[in-house]
Amino acid sequence: MAEARPTEGLQERPAAGLTRVVHQVEAVDFGERTVYEGGRLTVSPAEAAQILSSPALGEVSVSWASPGSPVRIVKVLDAVEPRTKGPGGGGIFPGFVGPAQPQGRGRTHVLRGAAVVAAGYLPRAQEAVIDMSGPAAALSPLGSTHNLVVEFVPGEGAKWEDVDEAVRRGTLALAARLAEAALDAPLDAVEELPTGPSATAGLPRVGVVTNLQTQGTFKDVFVYGRSFAQALPTLLDPGDLDDGAVVSGQFGHPGLKNPTFMHQNHPVVAELRRRHGKDLDFAGVVISPEPVDADNKQLISVHAARVCAAAGFDAALVTKEGGGNADADVALKMDELEALGIVAVGLFAEMAGTDGTGPSVVVPPSRATAMVSTGNYDDQLVLPAVDRALGGTTVNLVDLPATEELRLPTAVVYCSLSPLGWGHLRCEAAV
Amino acid sequence: MKAPMTKIVHYINQFFAGIGGEDAAGSPPVRVEGAIGPGRRLQQLLGDDLHIVATVHCGDDYASGSADAVQEILALVRQDDPDLVIAGPAFTSGRYGLACARVAAAATEHGLTSLAAMHEDNPGVDEGGAATIVRSGVAAREMGSSLETLAAAAAIVAGGEPLTNEQGRLGRPRRQVVRADRPAAARAVDLVLARLGGDLEATEVPLPRFEQVTPAAAVEDLAQTVLALVTEGALVPEGNPDRLESARATRWLRYSLDGIDSLAPDQYGSIHGGFSTVWANEDPHRIVPLDVARELEAEGAIGRLHGEYLVTAGNGTSVANARRFGVEWAADLRRSEVRAAILTST
Repeated sequence: MAEARPTEGLQERPAAGLTRVVHQVEAVDFGERTVYEGGRLTVSPAEAAQILSSPALGEVSVSWASPGSPVRIVKVLDAVEPRTKGPGGGGIFPGFVGPAQPQGRGRTHVLRGAAVVAAGYLPRAQEAVIDMSGPAAALSPLGSTHNLVVEFVPGEGAKWEDVDEAVRRGTLALAARLAEAALDAPLDAVEELPTGPSATAGLPRVGVVTNLQTQGTFKDVFVYGRSFAQALPTLLDPGDLDDGAVVSGQFGHPGLKNPTFMHQNHPVVAELRRRHGKDLDFAGVVISPEPVDADNKQLISVHAARVCAAAGFDAALVTKEGGGNADADVALKMDELEALGIVAVGLFAEMAGTDGTGPSVVVPPSRATAMVSTGNYDDQLVLPAVDRALGGTTVNLVDLPATEELRLPTAVVYCSLSPLGWGHLRCEAAV
Repeated sequence: MKAPMTKIVHYINQFFAGIGGEDAAGSPPVRVEGAIGPGRRLQQLLGDDLHIVATVHCGDDYASGSADAVQEILALVRQDDPDLVIAGPAFTSGRYGLACARVAAAATEHGLTSLAAMHEDNPGVDEGGAATIVRSGVAAREMGSSLETLAAAAAIVAGGEPLTNEQGRLGRPRRQVVRADRPAAARAVDLVLARLGGDLEATEVPLPRFEQVTPAAAVEDLAQTVLALVTEGALVPEGNPDRLESARATRWLRYSLDGIDSLAPDQYGSIHGGFSTVWANEDPHRIVPLDVARELEAEGAIGRLHGEYLVTAGNGTSVANARRFGVEWAADLRRSEVRAAILTST
């Protein structure tokens, strides 16, 4: 009698790993149908409005804001890169567009150079600005993408929580739909993402701990569609970041926030992948909530360090989201990691005051001392006047018309101090 | 040819001027001829070429309680058209250090060479602006050595030379923003690899040092004590009439509690940008517990509730500003005979 093989009867699993199929967006337009052809993305406003429609929303409109144009987007909420895994999304944005199931395998089509950007008033949202031209454009990752800006008015009698939810679902669905237009289009690049240990022996295992700011409605982050506020730190398949398993509903500290777009393109993950098998072995991604009280910050930090230890990390980069309160989450984790013998490096935006003379970090680590600077939160910028503003007519912080010349702290420019390490800003000691 | 004499105006507080202690902390600025108090010993150390022509003294509460006070002091300092302004030494005294630093900073802004002396943990170190701050001891028992360091530093800066850290200069270098060649993510991975390679010193952000705040002693007789309610929870009258910032606050405000027994939800609300204000706005007493404070006052558990509450927004606030608010609040409350305060934090 033949012995049954242990794997008999198991379904064939798709190969591990994710392939990004990249379609570059060079030009954009509106038209009767949503089409991607020869690098041009044409969007049907009627279809977009239909995708966004919800009982919680009144009128919804879409506008293009393209790089180099004299346009300012204010009251920026989330930004999403158009991606899909197949017709109807094929599982992209699990928990919102696709079912709440892990993704990160197979093929994902990416419309690179484009974004869907929601902009408008929500309670607790802090004023956030993207300039498409002028000196601030280079400070935001969304200053160089063709942005389909979604503006909305709340539905009559709708609760703000429901407005927030409807904008989020609509934005994600619209992003998936735009990418679907490229499913059969010629591709510009194929990116095979590494998976598993590299073939090179003896490299240090380096991972990343990414803190997600989870402080209740309008300041929350979703993983597989669920609020991450009550969760414990966990390993997440890096491919799941690409496929939109982490969705931002966090509208505080615009310079220090990580919109969905940045999780999809996580710069530290990209760098670890790039150097995988050369300088290091990419050991994994741990995501962690940022609780609001000290006891839970401590618990979550110890727990995150133990997850890293269990995953065999030799070193970890620690990223944050939010203002000074969130410095504590990075500092505690760095210290707990080093206490377990895991080398820790934190990314910190400095809060050194407008003249750069204040102490840089609100809560510094005590054991771990290696920190990278992502600029000064308080550094003042002058944004020249623009022709057109989207997202609102005034800029809250300074109470000025949104099209005027503005003096604003760097903190107000969307992702300018990216805690995920996107930017080039840095502080150094003046001589 | 003999170098012309350097004219110095010396700034000190009410205590070192011999006016009094906390009882005289509210005394206004006064100018007197020549050196007094620690200025006498300082003058001996300075020698013949550097001459203290006048001393300006002021109460610590008065000096650190408002920006106007610094301008008043500066006006007195400028009467003698000095070549050098010296303030302190303030040791670790917070209000005095702040006043010294601000007087020096304001004088520097007016083109006067200035030098403040204090301990490195004094909050004033962060407020010196472009003025030079020189190290002093912890307390007045180290007056002798502190004055020697100060006199040596005075000779250097009076000669137009910058003071070095080795010569006792305090204060962290200003952080200036630059554009790095590579993004932060790539630099962070470099830093990880350097640290894995045994370089434990490498960092782009020097570790800041924070002073440890020693809690005040327990209030002895609460039933005789004036109690104040203060908060960083950004609770303001409806409509935020004075436009308190919801984040990165640069100032604080005061609102009267006279004749008010409770804070109605339709009259007060929090504009704080860092937490969900739903529950605060449902019942403003969750931020400023006036209801319970009035009960305690009626029961005689506290002597009296202070007639106003002080408020700012603690959200993305720079440490320098937060520290300044703390010192200003302490001075302001002391002047009003408040001896205990409940600071609600969000």
